[in-house]
Amino acid sequence: MLPAVSACLLGFRYSRAATVASPCGGHHYVTAPSAKPPQPQAGDVTEKILNQPLEKADFFRVAELFSLKDLFDARVHLGHKKGCRHRLMEPYLYGCRLDHDIINLDQTMEHLQLALNFTAHIAYRGGIILFVSRRRQFGHLVETTAKDCGEYAHTRYWQGGLLTNANIQYGPGVRLPDLIIFLSTLNNVFQQHVGIRDAAKMNIPTVGVVDSNCNPSLVTYPVPGNDDTPAAVELYCRLFKMTINRAKDRRKQMELIHGLSAPTSQIS
Amino acid sequence: MAGSRLERFGTVFTRVRDLIRSGVIKPKEKPLWYDVYKTFPPKRAPLHVKPVTSPSAKKQEIVPEIFYSEDKIRTGFYEQYGRGLRALDLSKSNFVSTCQRFVDKYRELKSHGMLDKSSLFEETGKALLKEGIILRRRGAPPVLAESRDPVLDLKLIDMLAEQQSAGTDTTKTTEDKNS
Repeated sequence: MLPAVSACLLGFRYSRAATVASPCGGHHYVTAPSAKPPQPQAGDVTEKILNQPLEKADFFRVAELFSLKDLFDARVHLGHKKGCRHRLMEPYLYGCRLDHDIINLDQTMEHLQLALNFTAHIAYRGGIILFVSRRRQFGHLVETTAKDCGEYAHTRYWQGGLLTNANIQYGPGVRLPDLIIFLSTLNNVFQQHVGIRDAAKMNIPTVGVVDSNCNPSLVTYPVPGNDDTPAAVELYCRLFKMTINRAKDRRKQMELIHGLSAPTSQIS
Repeated sequence: MAGSRLERFGTVFTRVRDLIRSGVIKPKEKPLWYDVYKTFPPKRAPLHVKPVTSPSAKKQEIVPEIFYSEDKIRTGFYEQYGRGLRALDLSKSNFVSTCQRFVDKYRELKSHGMLDKSSLFEETGKALLKEGIILRRRGAPPVLAESRDPVLDLKLIDMLAEQQSAGTDTTKTTEDKNS
């Protein structure tokens, strides 16, 4: 029963027709004026739309979505006890107050900005984003966040071959996610979530909130921070939701400006 | 689509880059995130780190302990007054606990010129009492103890012993009288 439920929740999109226009010869008919614009121009415009955000450092202005005070108030700096510390998290810790690890929020700010920026760019390019969290306390929150962004979530038992055996489990030609966001990188037995290793295997970049007892080595864009407090997790969900929605709206805007969407809504 | 499932060698980016360079992945088929990663790489390349199995020589503590200069005052406060009568409300970020008020008062008095530690402690205690905060010393009876009725302190055993000794005296006197 569980695999079926997770399959519904996952809802992998089957490979859709390539949106990136492949260069095909645009036939210009001199005799009859054609109503449709010639194809290569559309391809160039798509290229321009895709490459324009890469020129600016913070095209989607994600740095203004959060401040250090917000992170502090949401208790993002609180880590676990000294005994639970993972040795690879030591560079990200500010210090240890009476055996409680305190995460360095200056570093968290930078990492979070990078992670949100990456997420925004992926969402802008129409990538599939998968939210993963095995914490049962926040399962519903993560699922609603994904629903509000129009992306996907997986908060149940992770079957072994979900990513690595997808073609057999879900049928041939499945489109795998382009980004996986981990709201907690541990599973229910405090071991590293299988999804991190699987995503690295399938060449899928990951964004993950790593607490002081997690292993940040395989996560592409780790965000050192608290993953246990409800306030902190709500903050992360809110930030990811806002960035993804912003990026998608921006994409629609750019398409309108360059006249790529329906001709009725063309602005020129 | 072609891929490389070796998560322990290199990063996701290096593997895909090398596959594109060698021609296994066509430039048209390159993944969505490739250009974004190239323009905005992470601070640390996500390389797999081998777990250390054998505990080698003790490495030094890289994570420093966090201590403040007010901690000395705080230890003095908790030693003398125990846990304090008012509970700490952690949900409010601007909450000032009894201990924190003690610390602030202590520093204020110190800045006024008093140097002796023990006198400072007493003065701070008195100042806080004036402001209305009652501080109970650890181990000592409460400050507002009413005087106990001396009758309550009498022990029953003593009373019985008195009665018995009084009883033997009377029997002795009666015996003397009889005999």
